[in-house]
Amino acid sequence: MSDAVSLWGIISAIGILTGLGVGFGALLGAVSERFKGDAHPLVDQIDALLPQTQCGQCGYPGCRPYAEAINEGDALNKCPPGGDATIQALADLLGREAEPLDGDAPEENRVAFIREAECIGCTKCIQACPVDAIIGAAKQMHTVIEDECTGCDLCVDPCPVDCIDMRPRSAPLTQWQPVMPFTASVITSDRSPAGGN
Amino acid sequence: MALTFDYQGGIYPPERKSRSSQASLQYAPLPARVTLPLRQHSGRPATACVTPGQHVQVGTLIARRDGLISADVHASISGTVTQVSEHAIQIESDNLDTRQPLAPLDWRETDALTLLARLDESGVVGLGGAGFPTQVKARVIERHAIDTLIINAAECEPYITADDITLQRYPGEVLEGAQLMASLCGAGQIVIGIEDNKPEAIAALKQAITQSRPAPITLGVIPIRYPSGSEKLLIKTLLNRTVPSLGLPADVGVLCHNPGTLLAALQAVRDGQPLVQRVVTLTGEAISRPGNYWVRLGTPIDELLAYAGLERSRLDKVVQGGPMMGSTLETLSAPATKTTNCLIAATQSELPPAPPASPCIRCGACENVCPVQLLPQQLHWYARAQEDDKLERYHLFDCIECGACSYVCPSHIPLVDDYREAKSRLRHQRIEAAKADHAKHRFEFRQARLAREEAEKQARRHARQAQNRPGAASSTEATAAPQADLRSLRIAQTAAKAAVRKAEKVLAREAQQAPNESHEDLEMQLATARENLKAADLQLAQARQSASAPEESP
Repeated sequence: MSDAVSLWGIISAIGILTGLGVGFGALLGAVSERFKGDAHPLVDQIDALLPQTQCGQCGYPGCRPYAEAINEGDALNKCPPGGDATIQALADLLGREAEPLDGDAPEENRVAFIREAECIGCTKCIQACPVDAIIGAAKQMHTVIEDECTGCDLCVDPCPVDCIDMRPRSAPLTQWQPVMPFTASVITSDRSPAGGN
Repeated sequence: MALTFDYQGGIYPPERKSRSSQASLQYAPLPARVTLPLRQHSGRPATACVTPGQHVQVGTLIARRDGLISADVHASISGTVTQVSEHAIQIESDNLDTRQPLAPLDWRETDALTLLARLDESGVVGLGGAGFPTQVKARVIERHAIDTLIINAAECEPYITADDITLQRYPGEVLEGAQLMASLCGAGQIVIGIEDNKPEAIAALKQAITQSRPAPITLGVIPIRYPSGSEKLLIKTLLNRTVPSLGLPADVGVLCHNPGTLLAALQAVRDGQPLVQRVVTLTGEAISRPGNYWVRLGTPIDELLAYAGLERSRLDKVVQGGPMMGSTLETLSAPATKTTNCLIAATQSELPPAPPASPCIRCGACENVCPVQLLPQQLHWYARAQEDDKLERYHLFDCIECGACSYVCPSHIPLVDDYREAKSRLRHQRIEAAKADHAKHRFEFRQARLAREEAEKQARRHARQAQNRPGAASSTEATAAPQADLRSLRIAQTAAKAAVRKAEKVLAREAQQAPNESHEDLEMQLATARENLKAADLQLAQARQSASAPEESP
């Protein structure tokens, strides 16, 4: 008698749990299908770590396409403007091994500058600029909006008269500059007189 | 007398105020030449509006404020402009000291807008050290309700006595200035926070309070402790209100003003005198006539110190500001500016150089003295290891850089230098991140615009084709493919519509929350969404046309 009851109990327990599992599974599946988003959050996260110069040095037309490529397994070390810091951040995010940078990191922050006297107004650089930082019109002089320029130098090659230079970015006094990091251990005799106490 | 409340931490450094507080307030001699930096305040530098060779008088506007948080700069002597550079304007004196004042106003009879405009055109900024434009501070009522105005006369840093002397000399005028600012921001009461080491100033204030109308004034005498003059701590001490982390005093209904600022505001309104001079404490053992001086802005610092009797042989360094938070000057040819409240010409024995730093022994002395209850030790480790997320979690940005931790550190670690370095690094990172974001939005906008232009071109080509060969083109396209295409295009168009609505909503919300700021990035995102929608509309319309064409043609 008691055996029969317990057998029923076991069967019904298995049945109920299986039913619940199948039911919730179906519900979850339906919900994830119903509310599926188009955006790929990991691509967004990768994109956020890239420097957004849109320079195309990675071989992709802009930072977002490179982020998508990384998500599909491309190498992390193709972004010279980001440098080692970006590679490290990407490696941390994706749990991959950091690789040495493929190419030369730019030493300084640069902007494009059009020597306006030589500009012939061909609009080729305007078409090349990924962030619309060059203004001008056909047969009119062009100029670069310094604040908007990302320093990608995509405008330099198309220029038929070579009137575009990459120059160091001017830094206003008001802009925060990273303070020189101090050296960790200082020999007493080398120490400069410290301010305050 | 107001009840005072306590805060944890703080230190008791030697005061060394007596040397400069003994002498009476004097006028420094007129300088032969002044150099007026375009940025003597917090915010953006002013834009020069004079040219070399131009004749100016005391109070002539020489640089206009640029942007919302910025301040005008006026000529502090009469003479000829000799040089206008990117950072400063130089004026050679004609020794006549002719003035060009604005029209005097009676603040009790004048409306708030005129008064704010007057503070704006007088270039008045906070004279306590930060140099925040006073008119911007007064406009805070547009977003916060203010009930109390605090006169911050604590002056807790050693050496400085400029506020003490100002209150001794001009108690009535400072209170009048406080009444003016209180009426501007709608504060119902005024509280004076003053440390009990200034008995003469307290006596002068007590007498002046009885005649000051209309807001009631309370005198809050607080015990000496460094850094009780810090805005947030003073509010805690006087009113027992705690300013939230990363918040402003206005968040708890309080505005703090320095006595010197109030005096300058009153002079700007009552006398029409722009901010062209300020009280500077000249002290330190390397000068023989220490005291407080009315100094024209832009006066070279070496000239000032020489007038106060500088003995160059004894001089070790000159500190601008107090010894705790001030900075050692690299060159003495720098000018005194709106934020120069104190110059200490110190001898080697007076402010000896810090001994070399040893490793941290985790004694915890810094935690006991931190007035804002941070963990200086942890911040020190994280700052050196550049663990930025931990720095933020340990509230690095609540550090007021008072220097109490460095002062008590038995290992002589320059802790505040670590924090400043870390703060500047984090700020720089934020700026870079914002720039990258901006570039991304511009790139997206360009992509969207190109897509829309492409769609328009397609639509035009299609229309042309349909015109040229009515019905001919359609027979080849009449397949099932356009149907499936139509559906995905319709979904894309709906998504684009939703994106536009979302962008509009975000922009509207931000515009309501911060009406004075620029929302260029959000506007660009909205424009991008609109471009995308236009392209989707065009593609959909075109697909519909080609789908319906085969049905009509047979």
